[in-house]
Order: sequence, then C-alpha cells, then structure tokens
Amino acid sequence: MTSTRDILLDYRDVAVGYAGNAVVAGASLELRAGEVVGLVGPNGAGKSTLLRAVTGDAELLAGTLKIAGADSHVLAPLERARLVGVVPQQVTAAFSLPARDFVEMGRHARLPRFASLGKHDRNVVDEALVLTDTARLADKPTDELSGGDLQRLSLAQALAQEPQVLLLDEPVSHLDLNHRLQILDLVRLLAADKGIGVLAVFHDLDLAARYSDRIAVVAEGRIGAAETPERAITAESLRTVFGVRAVVGTDPVTGAVSVTPVLRDGAVASHSRGSVLIIGGSGCAAPLMRRLVLSGWQASAGALNVGDADQVLAEALGVRYASIPPFAPMDEDAAAAVASLATDADAVVVCQVPFGHGNVANLAAAAAAARAGKHVVLVGDIEGRDFTGGVAESLWREALDAGAVIAPDDDGAEAALVSFSEGGKR
Amino acid sequence: MNPRRHPPLALVLAALAATLVAAMAAGVALGAVPVAPADTLTAIGRALRGASGGLADTLVVSVRLPRVVLAALVGASLAGAGALYQALFKNPLADPYILGVSSGAGLGAMAAIVATAGATALRFGLVPLAAFAGAALTMLLVVRLASHRGRLDPTSLLLAGVAISYTLAAVTSFLMVVAREQMAAIVYWMMGGLSGASWPYVGMVVPMFLLGIAVPLLTTRELNLMLLGDERAGHLGLSVERFKLLTLASASLLTAAAVSVAGLIGFVGLMVPHMVRLVLGPDHRRLLPASLLAGAIVLVLADLVARTVIAPIEIPVGIVTAVFGGPFFVWLLVRGRTR
Repeated sequence: MTSTRDILLDYRDVAVGYAGNAVVAGASLELRAGEVVGLVGPNGAGKSTLLRAVTGDAELLAGTLKIAGADSHVLAPLERARLVGVVPQQVTAAFSLPARDFVEMGRHARLPRFASLGKHDRNVVDEALVLTDTARLADKPTDELSGGDLQRLSLAQALAQEPQVLLLDEPVSHLDLNHRLQILDLVRLLAADKGIGVLAVFHDLDLAARYSDRIAVVAEGRIGAAETPERAITAESLRTVFGVRAVVGTDPVTGAVSVTPVLRDGAVASHSRGSVLIIGGSGCAAPLMRRLVLSGWQASAGALNVGDADQVLAEALGVRYASIPPFAPMDEDAAAAVASLATDADAVVVCQVPFGHGNVANLAAAAAAARAGKHVVLVGDIEGRDFTGGVAESLWREALDAGAVIAPDDDGAEAALVSFSEGGKR
Repeated sequence: MNPRRHPPLALVLAALAATLVAAMAAGVALGAVPVAPADTLTAIGRALRGASGGLADTLVVSVRLPRVVLAALVGASLAGAGALYQALFKNPLADPYILGVSSGAGLGAMAAIVATAGATALRFGLVPLAAFAGAALTMLLVVRLASHRGRLDPTSLLLAGVAISYTLAAVTSFLMVVAREQMAAIVYWMMGGLSGASWPYVGMVVPMFLLGIAVPLLTTRELNLMLLGDERAGHLGLSVERFKLLTLASASLLTAAAVSVAGLIGFVGLMVPHMVRLVLGPDHRRLLPASLLAGAIVLVLADLVARTVIAPIEIPVGIVTAVFGGPFFVWLLVRGRTR
C-alpha cells in the first residue's frame, strides 16, 4: 500500500479549461511516486489540458488538484517549479543562447534571488546534459539545433529543476527511433531510481503501452480510470475512442501491448454493397477482406484457425467468421458453420489459399454454393495448391461447372463481385 | 571550464567604459570653440574646488560637461529601454520610439510644459512625472490594442505603436497651436535635442535612470527566462505577469527620463541592443549592462556630430540618430524576411 504522502498528483473530480469553458470535466486521477502514467486519446480530447492544469496554464474550474499534497492554486510559480518539471510539445529556442545556458535556466527556481550558479547547480546541470545525451551540444546556440535536440534539451532543463513530478507532452514526437527509446528508457529509469512521478501524453499507443505502468484513456472531455496497458488498450476501446478497428496483440519481443490499426470507421463506404463470404486462411484473405469491408461489403469469413492472420484481422474488423482451434483440421461443425455462412451470403470468394485435408471442406462449401446458384469467384488457379491428392481440384472444377467464375487476382475478384451486385441475381 | 563563443564580459565592459570616457572627453573638447583636454581637466578641478575661472571654464563646466553627461544618461536610458522591450515582447524591432512610448512620454512632458508656462520651478518636478505617466499609459494602451485573447501579436504590436504615435503627434501639434508662444521651443524639443542641457536636467534624470535600471539589472536572469516565452518562463518559476508589469514600468521610466530632457530621439533603443547582441549574444546578464554603456557612447558621439557637422549651426541629435537608424531598421526588416 502506498501512503498518501506518495501521491504526487491528485486530481479529484477536476474540471479544467480556458476562459471559463471546461475542456475536461469530472477528471479523477492519482499519480504516485515512481510510476509512469500515460494519457492517450484523440486530438483535442483534453490530454494536454489535463497537464496544463498542473502547470497553472489552464484554469481549474471545479474539483481539487493537489501537487505533492499542496493545493494547486496556492502554489506560487517558484514553489511549483521546484515540484513540477515540464517538457512541452513544442520547444522554443532561446535565440542564440548556448544549450548549456538553456539547461541552466532550469535551476532558476532553485537559486536564491540574485545568486548565480554554484558548484552543486553546475553538477546538476552536467548530470542532466549527460543523462539526455546532450553534453556535446552544450556550446551550440539553441536556435541552430534540430527539433529533436531541443526536445532532449528541454528534458534536461526540466531535470535541472530536480522535480518530483515530470509532465511530458508527447515527449518524443520529434525524436528519431534511437533517441525515442533512449529518452523513454531514461524516463523509466528516473521514475524507478529517483521516485519521480511521470504523467505523459502519448500519441504512439505502442510506446504508451511499453513505457507506462498505467494508462488512462481521455476522450471527449472525460478521462477513464488509469489501468494496466492490457486493460486500457483493447480493440474495443480503440474502436470507441479513436473510431479505428485495430488488431491488439502482444509484442513478441517486449511483451508489451502492440497495436496494428486496420481501418478507420470513417473510411468505410457508407453505401451497402451486399454480403460476401470470403474463404481464406494463413493470411491470404486478409488484403481482400480489408478491402471489401472498406468498400461497403458485409463480409464474413470461412472457417479460420484461431491465431491465423486472417482470423486476427476478421476479429479486428468485426467480421463474422467460423472458427476452429489453432492448427486443428475442420470438423463437421466447422463445415456446417461455413455452409450456413455461405447460405446467408450473396456471393462467395475463394482466395488463393493452399488446400489440404484440414481445410478442403471450405472449398466444398464454395462448390455447394455454386451449385445452389450463388455467385462464386475463384481467385487464381488451383494448380500447385492442391495437397489433397485431387479432391480440391475436382471440387474446383465442380464449382466452375456450376457457374463459378475465375478472377486472376484480388482486383479481378472485387470487379467480379461489383458486376454481380450491379447485374442482380444470377 | 565553461567555454563560450563570446568574449568575456568584464573585458567588454572595461573596453566600453574606456570608450565612453574617451567619447565624453571628445564631446567636451570638441565644438565651435575647441578646448584642450588639459584645460578641461584644470577647469573641472577649479570648479570642484569652488574657484572661479574664465570663459573657457564656464563653457566646459556649465555647458559641455552637463551636455555630455546628459547625452550619456539619455543614450543609456534609451538603449536600456529598448533592450527591455525587445526581451519582453520577444521582438527585435521593439524600441520606445517605435512602440509609441516616446510619443506618449513626449505628450505628457509637453502638457506639463504648457501647463506650467512661466512657473519654471514647478516644471522640474512635473515634467518627469507627466512624461512617465504618458509613457506608461501609452505602453498599456499599445499592449492592449495588440493583444487578442491574451496573445500578443508581434506585428500588431508595431502597428499599434505606429498608430498611437501618429495620434499622439496630432494631439501634440494641437497643443503647439494652442500654446503658440512656446511653439519654437516645443518643436525643437520634439525633434530631439540636448542643446538645453544643464546640471539641473542631469539632476532630474539621474534618479529616474537609477530607479528605472535598478530592477532590470537585478533581474537579468528573469529577463533571460522571458526568451523562452511566457509559458515556459512560468514553468521554470517566474511570476510572469508581475515581472512583465515591473519591467514595463522600468522601461517606461527609462523612456520618460530620456524624453523629459531630450525630447524624441529615435532608433537608439533599437540599434544599440541589436549591435550588442551580435557581439555578446542574447544573454541579458551581458546584454543589458553592455547596452547601457554602448547606448551612452552612441548618443554622446551622435550629439557631437549634431553640434559640429555644420557648425556653428546645431542640428537636433534626433535627426542624426534617425539618419543612421532608419536604414538600420530597414536592414533588419529585410534580413528578417530573407531568413
């Protein structure tokens, strides 16, 4: 259990905004010493405004905000600067002032009035420069530095404040991959070693998940509870908050939540095209599935093994599909499920999947659909992908005989589907 | 230990101080009647002992010496005010003349002159106060006009300054017409001149100058924070609004000091901090003291030119600074555009 003393930021039912208008309302959040809390959410949702409540740049309209136990509005700028360091989204160069002087400005709140920097101050500045990998820039004028350099110097400046709380507003937006990881690793280290509490706005969800202990989703002026990345970032939350259908998985190397956006809800064509059953597997149906969903088709998918790339995508897209356990062959239940999906669909597309004994039932369902008078499109050629000793090939021919058409590729398949839907029933 | 691209401050200040002394010496020695440096020293010595001397002594002690001292003080005040405005507004084109503050101070001072016509004793107390009031009010008005939703737009700031200057010039002209008998004096004063310099004027400026420059010299670190913008300065612990108000008051006081005794002298506040920045960089711990000295040097020399270039006729020093300052301003504009 953490004692109340360790709570560095305590938002209680806070409303915060500008000129009397709340941007975020009813916000409650605790930031404890030594933890990194990430804020994610769409642009304009109020993430930065939540940070700006702490710096005093936005107005606290309701509720209480305590910074290291002190009420936010009683803190004078000097006291606040000893508690809170900020790395802003956009860093302004201080004309041709050398980088070291820029970082030394962070000591302002720690210096007695009219005093100049002492030995301890210089040591703190040196350490900040080394930690942020900016020591070699010390003598360069800030107005000649890149955005990434300025961002790291800005972190150095904030570290020179020796703060208990670090507020990071998209701290790595201008950094290359190497420095991105370096700075975020440093932030984690500072949290662990110095007990600094870090509240950071992230745009990159993967980075947020990888570097945050807890994540709070901010959307439409509301903040959700801060939870573990696994609980905060789900396909469902991404769809409601961002309007994006995404595959949420686990990065095999870092073990962190990883997000692959698949498509935006807003990009899906508004007119409905009709329904189509897509038969695929091993990821060969994924491009066509995404494409058909985008152009307004009501898609479903033939029996897919759980964990298969096509299955993951179908899940993310919210496409109905018949599922079979990982690596298992189709059983009778699965074959029946596919057959029922085929019955519900206006058309069936068979992708260029290799057929073995485990999945040839999918092709059988397609042939049956052709015989039943459905539009069936066969993509490519059966040549070279029949591993059933002829069963697949004969089903293929059977389908053709029943009126199925051949499309050379995904483009052809979509064109054929469009001509079916425009030409009406066969 | 802490290598810099710029020369050490002590060295620069010493060099500037030496140059100022030399310029002031030249200012005393040169003119319609040249005075040898040795004679200048003996005249000053005699005056300090209370002994009386000849006509040359009077020329040195009562005319030229107060004049160069006044020129130095006015130059320092204007350069200091310019450096402060430039820091506060993060705008290299800001200076008391362009922002309209000089005109405001001028109108205040002139109103005081007209109101105290014939009452010279009152004038020395009232003119600086009225000039400060005029400067401060104009500054507030210009900032107000140039602000939109709490943001100060740099272009609007300059435009508002120019617009206010014109308006105030109209009011000033009106005052001139009303107070016809003092018109010549007022016109000459408006063009900016030091010909009326005397020790009482010096006595009037010194306290204003000291009061105006004290806070800025003690808060150069805070002025540096302002280079980062209001928001960042606040994050690093500066009470931004209070500091701005204090600095604006200081800059207005410096402007009022200069305008009270020397009328409208333009471009010193613009040029000097700029030239110093080119050599010393934007750090106010260096920029501000160096600008004060450089401003003093520039105005002492400009006044020397004004007195001697078509001697025995003396031209207002404001014309000399404008001849150099106008093109400099244009150069800044063009350079700012090409960058």
